[in-house]
Amino acid sequence: MDDAEERQVRLAGLMRAAQDGDKAAYRELLREILPLLRRVLRARLRFLQPADIEDLVQDTLLSVHAVRATYDPARPFLPWLMAIARNRVADNARRFGRRVVNEAALKSWMVTFSAAETNMISESYGDPEAMHAAIQGLPRGQREAVELVKLREMSLRQASEVSGMSVAALKVSVHRAMKTLRGVMVKGK
Amino acid sequence: MNVDTNAVIQRLVDDCLPVRRLPPTWALALAWIAIALASVAIVVYFASPRGDLADKAGELRFLIEQGAALATSVTAAIAAFMMVVPGHSRAVAALPVPPLAVWLASLGQGCTSNWLVHGAEGFSIEPDWICFPAIVVVGAVPALAMVLMLRRGAPLTPHLTMALGGLAAAAIGNFGLRLFHPQDASLMVLVWQFGTVAALSVLAGSIGRQVFSWQQIMPARVRASGVG
Repeated sequence: MDDAEERQVRLAGLMRAAQDGDKAAYRELLREILPLLRRVLRARLRFLQPADIEDLVQDTLLSVHAVRATYDPARPFLPWLMAIARNRVADNARRFGRRVVNEAALKSWMVTFSAAETNMISESYGDPEAMHAAIQGLPRGQREAVELVKLREMSLRQASEVSGMSVAALKVSVHRAMKTLRGVMVKGK
Repeated sequence: MNVDTNAVIQRLVDDCLPVRRLPPTWALALAWIAIALASVAIVVYFASPRGDLADKAGELRFLIEQGAALATSVTAAIAAFMMVVPGHSRAVAALPVPPLAVWLASLGQGCTSNWLVHGAEGFSIEPDWICFPAIVVVGAVPALAMVLMLRRGAPLTPHLTMALGGLAAAAIGNFGLRLFHPQDASLMVLVWQFGTVAALSVLAGSIGRQVFSWQQIMPARVRASGVG
């Protein structure tokens, strides 16, 4: 009897004992098939991360446990084990496949629409000097409101405390200032 | 999952209770056929066997078609039971093909003869809706027994396995139906009876994963402890 045959006989014996409730035999069997499953799954699924392979190994062990009553001790053990492993790989391939597709889709979300303006990384403010001049040309109250709320990005409450203007007055000033600036900048193009 | 595999092994070992080995395929098939034939006999008895059954028993075509239906049922059952044991080739799923071919060929030959003898008149299809519920009723207990027996195995190919189980139950249902339903026109048998058997097999196959999946048989205690 060669090594492979001897191993088959030993594994079949361990599984038979495990079916009868022998925990020690079952532990020995699972420990012996663990590196074998890792090796086989790694060879079949080279594209998977080690953590995914380990998930699949655990899933196969659970499946073996769930259907251990279907093993016939008169038949060789390894073909029975590998049939379960192949089946679990095929079942899980769909799950891994879906995840890979989703990850690829996320990467492609950088471009959402074909129009160029929807894919600019940052907004363009046009000519900064013209904008600066336009702000300087605003009435004092509006200029102060824009500087505090838009340029220094203060909240209306903070801007109110700093400027002494009411929140309502600030809102009106910012609104009017933005309208004026938009008009000046459009005219300047 | 991210659970240490050694911890998984420990949980499985803790959960290692003695299990009743799945009987060999031939024993499962024999047990199922016994249950199915007994249940068919009871239904046929209560539905009253057809009056001309003795005459039919001497008719070659009737014997071939009934024999083929029974053989289809038996081979489909054997194939279904083999499919739930890891390590068997999927080619066993083709076991019912020869008797199925004989059954179809006999019905086809009957249709052709009718066409040649009676022309278009011999080729008319009339409604015979009773076939569907009758086959379902006759095949119900065999189908239930089949599902319970298959669920002791491994759900390697749930759709194919359930389709074979459905074929086994529906074919024996058809076998029983012809013992009390006096409809022998080949075209009618082909459309209403064989059609019902085919439809029920497809239906059973389509719900394969709902009836029979890994998720349903994974060790509950082990899953509850955070694995799987």
